[in-house]
Amino acid sequence: MNAQPITEVAESRPLPSDSASVSRAVTPALELCGLSKTFTLGGGLFKRGRTLGAVSNVSLRIPRGQVMGLVGESGCGKSTLAKMLLGLTTPSDGDVLVDGRPVRGADQKALARHIQPIFQDPYSSLNPRKRIAQIVGLPLRVHGIGTPREQAAHVAETLDVVGLPRRAAEQFPGQLSGGQRQRVAIARALVMRPDIVICDEPTSALDVSVQAQILNLLLDLKAEFGLTYLFISHDLAVVEHLVDRVAVMYLGRIVEEGTREQIFGSPRHPYTRALLDSALTPEPGLGVPDIGLGDATPDPSDPPAGCAFHPRCPKAQATCRQQRPRLEDIRGDNARVACHLA
Amino acid sequence: MSRLEVNNLLEVNNLRVDLPVEAGTLHAVRGIDFHVERGEMLCLVGESGCGKSMTSLALMGLLPRKARLTADRLRFDGIDLTTLPERRRSDLRGARMSMIFQEPMTALNPAYTLGNQLCEGLIRHRGVSRQEARERAIYLLERVGISAAKDRLNQYPHQLSGGLRQRVMIAMALMCEPDLIIADEPTTALDVTIQAQILRLLRELQQEFGTAVIFITHDLGVVARIADRVAVMYAGEVIESAPTPALYANPAHPYTRGLLSCIPAPGKTPPGSRLQAIPGVVPSLVGHVEGCAFRNRCPQAQPTCERTPPLMSLSGDHRARCHYADRPVPAPRPPETIS
Repeated sequence: MNAQPITEVAESRPLPSDSASVSRAVTPALELCGLSKTFTLGGGLFKRGRTLGAVSNVSLRIPRGQVMGLVGESGCGKSTLAKMLLGLTTPSDGDVLVDGRPVRGADQKALARHIQPIFQDPYSSLNPRKRIAQIVGLPLRVHGIGTPREQAAHVAETLDVVGLPRRAAEQFPGQLSGGQRQRVAIARALVMRPDIVICDEPTSALDVSVQAQILNLLLDLKAEFGLTYLFISHDLAVVEHLVDRVAVMYLGRIVEEGTREQIFGSPRHPYTRALLDSALTPEPGLGVPDIGLGDATPDPSDPPAGCAFHPRCPKAQATCRQQRPRLEDIRGDNARVACHLA
Repeated sequence: MSRLEVNNLLEVNNLRVDLPVEAGTLHAVRGIDFHVERGEMLCLVGESGCGKSMTSLALMGLLPRKARLTADRLRFDGIDLTTLPERRRSDLRGARMSMIFQEPMTALNPAYTLGNQLCEGLIRHRGVSRQEARERAIYLLERVGISAAKDRLNQYPHQLSGGLRQRVMIAMALMCEPDLIIADEPTTALDVTIQAQILRLLRELQQEFGTAVIFITHDLGVVARIADRVAVMYAGEVIESAPTPALYANPAHPYTRGLLSCIPAPGKTPPGSRLQAIPGVVPSLVGHVEGCAFRNRCPQAQPTCERTPPLMSLSGDHRARCHYADRPVPAPRPPETIS
């Protein structure tokens, strides 16, 4: 892997904690530096395939104990990004820093000690033939932590923490409801006592009445264990409720990043604005807004020149078609936006 | 018959759908009543397993073969659907009532061109020429916002994005100018930006063509923005129905109130605060269900709730199936966490 920071990484600077006086307190729990992933499509023995930039030069820092929301449409690279953080996919370029120390892609086990996932669908992410105690205890066995007796005690304790009855330990996933299964998935993530949890659409497969239970649990656990979350979701109401900061992704790149108040209160990127407008809150009488986006859904293997959003942008100008805007902290308020018109 | 009822396109009384399963009989739909007026948008809302999709399949006559349907009344434009022979039923399907499914990729046939699939119904039901059918298909594709409509007719479903495929489904549903469209979660698989575009389009066309729509969804945000009236389903029953503004302003059933308070409301719910959750899980509908099906999760449940609650008529067109629907709302009890 090429660890050389390429020039574009400078996009993310300067940020306050980049200054010389870096103290332990401001070292982010998780930092991504120019993280990229390209896939090759088609091609053959002698023919070069096309490349698809699923994630392009993403730089993010998540302070300890905070929740970073990651939003964007399907295919924008959210899940590829999550997979790289979990060591399930090797980045094509860039670095992941946990606690300020770079973690190489090969060092999967070390990464897993710090970063654990909660996936979207608790129906497919749990092995139907294993008992809950085995599912939750697996990470401990893989990492060889403790004696079998200690492991069992630790599993029981973790089931308590996520609000599952002790008897669930001997049951199979098929005997549990969707909400309970998602609690099992959360228990499996927490049994390693990770610092960082990647929540990839953790409630979108659940019914609304159960969703609230799981969101409450995630908030409780964060407070209890000082967890840091990367919270990936397409449900903007949930994101607004849960996060401290938000990053908006479009076609593999971060187009805007800032605090919850900055993003939800005064979005600056036209794509962020369109996303917020299209979130339908339960307020009768407002109708469905015209968000003013065209139908030009982009092809990720052939991204538009200039700003990737320009074919759908209601305000696009000539510059937008030629030059890619840099993700910059224009106002010096620790919020970054990639738009010529912001 | 009163004047109001004459205007009803669809009338459903005591509709039941039973499915034989390994453990006995699953009562998927347990005696529901509702009606659809001409040209209105009725939203059926509820969580998974509440019977909303079974209801729509029952209306279309597309229930699984093993399912058993009974109803005191199931009338579409005066036609009794319970006794209608299958051959006559299929004359209605696609012509006077059509359906839009959640996943357009599985609803469209991958082996036929869009033109083929769009025109088939019109040629079959109206006996028009292929040329006329193609002209209508082009007109409707343009109406649903698809550019280069003529070329699209020769394309296959896989050549289109998810949003475009759902637009094609809408155009297909409109081909024969039906009186009723049943849309089962048509935007659930789509991104929010595309969802907003599709909903806007559906609402526009519905009002322009005067088509009645039964829109099935679990999303109370969507319901608020598009519905004329709402019917909330729980455990195979309609537990509350009302005009949209009334339902959101004065939800009368504890389940409806619970659903509405579950979703974080921007500007109202303080960020990071605990959300109101509905404790417990949906009851099993296998075997006989006695009393109010919600009572085990209900914050106000009383011994009375062991008896099946009546459908209480509140103001106007607002009804709720709860013994206490007409009482003032009690103070919320502290939020629950344990499921």
